[in-house]
Amino acid sequence: MRTYAIWWLLGTTLEVVDLDFRYENGYKVFQDINLKAEKGKFIAIVGPSGVGKSTLLRLLGAFLKPEKGSVLLHGKPVLRPTPLISMVHQSIVTFPWMTAEENVALSVRMKNLPKDKVKEISSRALEMVGLQGFNDLYPKEMSGGMRQRVAVARSLAADPKILLMDEPFAHLDELTAEGLRQDIYNILFNEESPLETVIMVSHNLTEVIELSDTVFILNGNPATIVAKVDIDIPRPRSPRDPKFDQMLDILYSYLTRKGVKKQ
Amino acid sequence: MIQAVDFITNSASIGTVNGIPLMTITLAVLATSIRVLALILLSIISGWLLAYGAIKSKIFENIFISLIEIFESVPVITFFPVVLIIFVDRIGGGLGVELAADFLVFTAVVWNIWMGEYQAFKTVPSEMVEVANNYNYGFLDRMGMIYIPFSIPRIAANLFPSVSDGFFYITVSEVFSIGLTTYATFGIGTEISSLLAQSNYYGVLTAFIIMGIIIVIIILALRSISERAVAKYTVDTDMPIMRRGKPRIRQTARFSAVASLNTLGKLAKYNRERRPQKDPEELFSTTPKKGKGNIIAGLVALAIFLYIIYSAIELILSVSAKEWDYLFSKTPSLLYGLMLDYLRVITITLISLFMALTLGYYFATRKRVEKFGIPVIQTLSAYPVPAYFPFLFLGIYPFVDSIFGSYTEEALVLFLGFLATFYYVFYGFWMGVKAMPSEYNEIMRNLDLGFFQKMRYVIIPSTFPYLISGITSTVNSAWGGLEIGEYWPHIAGNRTLQVHDGLMKTIDVATSTGNIALAAWGSFLFAIIVAVYSIIFTKKMMDLAKKKYVAEEGIYSV
Repeated sequence: MRTYAIWWLLGTTLEVVDLDFRYENGYKVFQDINLKAEKGKFIAIVGPSGVGKSTLLRLLGAFLKPEKGSVLLHGKPVLRPTPLISMVHQSIVTFPWMTAEENVALSVRMKNLPKDKVKEISSRALEMVGLQGFNDLYPKEMSGGMRQRVAVARSLAADPKILLMDEPFAHLDELTAEGLRQDIYNILFNEESPLETVIMVSHNLTEVIELSDTVFILNGNPATIVAKVDIDIPRPRSPRDPKFDQMLDILYSYLTRKGVKKQ
Repeated sequence: MIQAVDFITNSASIGTVNGIPLMTITLAVLATSIRVLALILLSIISGWLLAYGAIKSKIFENIFISLIEIFESVPVITFFPVVLIIFVDRIGGGLGVELAADFLVFTAVVWNIWMGEYQAFKTVPSEMVEVANNYNYGFLDRMGMIYIPFSIPRIAANLFPSVSDGFFYITVSEVFSIGLTTYATFGIGTEISSLLAQSNYYGVLTAFIIMGIIIVIIILALRSISERAVAKYTVDTDMPIMRRGKPRIRQTARFSAVASLNTLGKLAKYNRERRPQKDPEELFSTTPKKGKGNIIAGLVALAIFLYIIYSAIELILSVSAKEWDYLFSKTPSLLYGLMLDYLRVITITLISLFMALTLGYYFATRKRVEKFGIPVIQTLSAYPVPAYFPFLFLGIYPFVDSIFGSYTEEALVLFLGFLATFYYVFYGFWMGVKAMPSEYNEIMRNLDLGFFQKMRYVIIPSTFPYLISGITSTVNSAWGGLEIGEYWPHIAGNRTLQVHDGLMKTIDVATSTGNIALAAWGSFLFAIIVAVYSIIFTKKMMDLAKKKYVAEEGIYSV
């Protein structure tokens, strides 16, 4: 309780401390990863292709076990996956045998609530992501964008403190992705949402600048956090804003620097 | 009168050690193994030609697929009347008996393999076909360079269940009695019967050991072949793959199922990436299609079909009116027996399903257990139950008797059926879990779902097509188990294993007492009812699986 209070006062929800990770084949992916995710912030992790962005996200969610170091949620180590840290996948994941509402309800069922309550929470989550009235549709009757909204609603309905998003717009066409990007910030940080922090992995710098408050740059071999960039452009952000371009240049320069901690 | 058996027993003096005919046993195991493998090879080669015919001619494709759909849905023993009519009665002699055994095994292994090859030919990447068109490849070049290599992983995937099916049926079809005549052909099934008749139990034990060694060798070889085939011939690509016709859930299940061996992710991805597309050969073809091969194949098929019909009609006409009266009077009791057998099949299937859902899940989620356990189960499944069950019978009878009392024999028959069939649904479910998108696993872990929640909401729906495939195979093979177990004279010395009532028992008893008319009539009724039921039930379930429970559709990616 005391630890939680200190962390709450400090405003840090998730912290990664001296994290190392190695694949089963012995390849060392990360060394000395350290990062702090602050409350109310949209965090992005960017890095070149193949650097291990998705792997890092899975370590944050405890889907993988680090070789060394730890992931702390409100100061307590995260040892196994928990609904408090919820994941939205790059490949849009829904269950084809369930309606939109049933898909969302999956994350509410574990709370052993009465059926009416489960339905109410699921409906509200769908409403939150702009899918009111689509409760009874099956995934195959929906567009990619709608399916991803269902996946986001399912994650939110679990009442997570942290939302991990693995390139959530990668499998959407540009128009749909832009539409969802414009909505997502308000969806995630609205008054009803219990979320404290969102951590998104992406290789799309434009969407990172459009959405994030803080960007961690992952680079090197083995990879480590080589820079942290705060983005203070007022929202809503436009790519036509000169500051936007400036930020793009900064991130690009970090990503193209070579020879960072070569193994 | 015993045909062929005399040859074996009389020639056994060479290579006999302490009264155990080592040489004969080894040769018999080899003969049986070669018979199974040769019939699988025959299925593969004939399947290539038929599959090529199917992708070239829509009419042929429709007939071919419809027939496979029917035949793969019905139990192998449905073909027993055909065996009696054509091979034993018409052809007769040693050749007739050999062909009868071969035919039963062929019907057990061929449908999966043919369907797998057809599926492979249908999903050859359109770009590959365009290359073949571009360079004007002829039939042999197309087959040798594109279609056959592309079908190899699917064939490899079907080898395990086919070998298991083949060994199961060959050991019981190598030797069978009709009335006072025992028909036998050289093989381990016949050899074990012969050793049992001589009360040479050490000989039987030796036969089991030698058979075990050969089966392990075959399984290891097949695993190695599968690994190499998947590594070499699986197309790892994002390019669209042509597909025409209906998706084959059962086949997909069997396919990814067994391609097994650490390559599943690749195969699942490969399956997921298939998208419907028009046949490029149709799109760009400027020359009229040649139909000569189709006509010849069609005529041959028609001739065989007409011969079977002719033989059947001839047989029906040869039965007297008095005989028909007798058969009709027996029909109600035969149908009652069929109902009892259905209850037995349902019991066996439910127990198998329960074991699959618990043990299969345990295996699929624990790497170390799986690494050791799956090869063991593969080997055990290929080890023919009819060969070792008499010893199990002797060993566990007192124990089973102490629990089940007057239902002991019923319990033992169900146990035999379970041993013969449990593997299919277990393996199907295990593979379904393995082929489940990894994202589903992450979501289940993320949401911290309990075992029953996982099963109900994710795992069972996700593995439904695999379960249906496994259950269908289990049901079909359970009939084979009942056919053997419901009436088994001299299972151990003078003891006879038999149930109180059942259609399979009636058929077995009628066959062994020479009442061929009753046996054939019972088989005919069985074939009609079970085939119609299987087709309707299986088709309905598979349609449901196709419509609603394809896990790959839950992953949306461009």
